[in-house]
Amino acid sequence: MSDPRSRKVAVVADSLLEATLDELGRQGFGIIQLPPGGLDRETTRAWLEQTAEHVAEFRRNDYEVLLVDDGLHTAGLVAALAALGVPPLPQYAIQPPSTSRLTPET
Amino acid sequence: MKRVAFIAHCLLNQNAKVEGGAKRPGMWEPVIELLRDRGYVIRQMPCPELAFGGARRFWGVREQFDTPLYRRHCRRLATLVAALIEQHAEEGDDVVLIGVDSSPTMGVDFTPSAPHWAGRPDIAEDDSTLVRGDGIFIEELEAELAERGLPMPRSTGIRHWFADYDPEEELRRLESLLA
Repeated sequence: MSDPRSRKVAVVADSLLEATLDELGRQGFGIIQLPPGGLDRETTRAWLEQTAEHVAEFRRNDYEVLLVDDGLHTAGLVAALAALGVPPLPQYAIQPPSTSRLTPET
Repeated sequence: MKRVAFIAHCLLNQNAKVEGGAKRPGMWEPVIELLRDRGYVIRQMPCPELAFGGARRFWGVREQFDTPLYRRHCRRLATLVAALIEQHAEEGDDVVLIGVDSSPTMGVDFTPSAPHWAGRPDIAEDDSTLVRGDGIFIEELEAELAERGLPMPRSTGIRHWFADYDPEEELRRLESLLA
């Protein structure tokens, strides 16, 4: 049975989801969305814990997993991953906006 | 007031599907694009099956997943989702939920059933049937929301694995949900 999955996953900060969705989609990334701010500390910790469990399972099966981070949950995610023996995720390099829009119209 | 859509994990991450179950490389664009066009904030729910059975889990039906331990796992994740729904409810936001109707876990209106599935995983053809009812996670989420005095959001399920899948019917159903 054919299965076109990319085996590429981006863990994306909530605040950056909308801005990076098109770019990540074009590259075939699947997305794990990090929790938004405003949740209580225990819920946030538990949410990052389950996120780390997803990441650990993908890494265990050799999926590429990158981080699109805004810094809000960096320490919490690193700790949750470390508890499962997973090193910090490499950062995804967000592509700069196209310079074509800077070209004057003629 | 924001409009917020809680969506099954795999709609944003096809890699979480059971092997053989992905339809797209990364995400199920028809739903994502519709939500963005309509100005919905996307809230991705966890994938209980990925976390519990792993990326190499076998296909399964409701009868296999419906164990006390799996329900506790789903409830643990449902508690997180419910906390976020509660936050949006307190802010007066309009919340909807989109599941996956071929899933024993995330089904909203339909879930797969095969009481005879057990043992060696060598079923030649998928002879499960889709029956009316929620998946295990959706049931646990509804129970968790009820404990918080919250109703289940308006909801529907994606049916792209139905044998008679009709994208136009699905679009109309989604548009009705999001109207």
